[in-house]
Amino acid sequence: MSLSRLRLALWLMVGIVALGVVLLLWRQAEPEQISSTPLGTIGGPFTLTGTDGKPFASSKLNGKPAALFFGFTHCPDVCPTTLARLARLRRQLGQGDDALSIVFVSVDPERDTPAEVANYMSLYDTPIVGLTGTPAQIEQVKKQFGVFSRKVEQPGGSYSVDHTASVILLDKNGQFVATLSPEEGDSVALDKLRRITA
Amino acid sequence: MKRTMLASVLLLLASCGQNGEPDIQPGNAWARPTRGDAPGAVYVAINNKGSADDRLVGVSTDRAAMAMVHQTELVDEVATMRMAGEINIPAGQRVEMVPGGTHIMLQGLRAPLEPGDSFDLVLKFRRSGDKTVMVDVTKAEKL
Repeated sequence: MSLSRLRLALWLMVGIVALGVVLLLWRQAEPEQISSTPLGTIGGPFTLTGTDGKPFASSKLNGKPAALFFGFTHCPDVCPTTLARLARLRRQLGQGDDALSIVFVSVDPERDTPAEVANYMSLYDTPIVGLTGTPAQIEQVKKQFGVFSRKVEQPGGSYSVDHTASVILLDKNGQFVATLSPEEGDSVALDKLRRITA
Repeated sequence: MKRTMLASVLLLLASCGQNGEPDIQPGNAWARPTRGDAPGAVYVAINNKGSADDRLVGVSTDRAAMAMVHQTELVDEVATMRMAGEINIPAGQRVEMVPGGTHIMLQGLRAPLEPGDSFDLVLKFRRSGDKTVMVDVTKAEKL
């Protein structure tokens, strides 16, 4: 009797430990889960702040397709490279700047004030919509689009931001269509852009 | 046949690189413009025309408080930027930094980089010592 009880107690302990391990693994795996947004629900309306400091409703983008890129102004490599690529792809489309909105959304709202974003956008000869917002607004929009970002401390006391580098393509009604990966070639990217600007 | 064998033996000897010297020639260094206190990124091509490997071990410039070799990596579509270790420059090869990969990050720029600017960047190599290259600041939309 007492032996079977002991056995039961031991099995219970094994069960508890196993549950603990499962929970631990699950929690560890959680930050790796980059995008938990199901495909059909990517996007939706949002309101952020434009470079003029005024609220910017996503409905302003309606009427023409858009390429959304989430980045930050203190990003020396990936962000300027992606914005330059989008500007070049739009030129290669040959339908003018009005055929496609290029939209930059900051994932670093603490540093990226509307003025800071405006300053950053002034580097480009081509029109780019620059958006920022409160940290809560940015979190919300990131969630809507399945975008991941995380601050990373840098030597010298500043920080960098790891972030989703894919560009999100929306059709003229603001519906999610596809993503552009930095790794795919320009011909693939152009095909995708032609499809949404057709 | 003999010639191929000779070539491969020579190649093998060259790749050992124990006897020769590296001949490091950096060039085609450029950076995009910056705004405010944002960091900049320099891309440079490094030729090693010698017969021995060398390693890029450090970088510096008067233009910024800090210069370091960085590496952008893409993991599950997420771009992360990390310090790169020493960069190997094999004998007889050309290593070119390109956007979205290895670059030299300039933190604490004395002044934002403006299109048309140029400045000196010192590349420090394990065997070849310091090599200075002129960095040209391009327009933002250069690819």
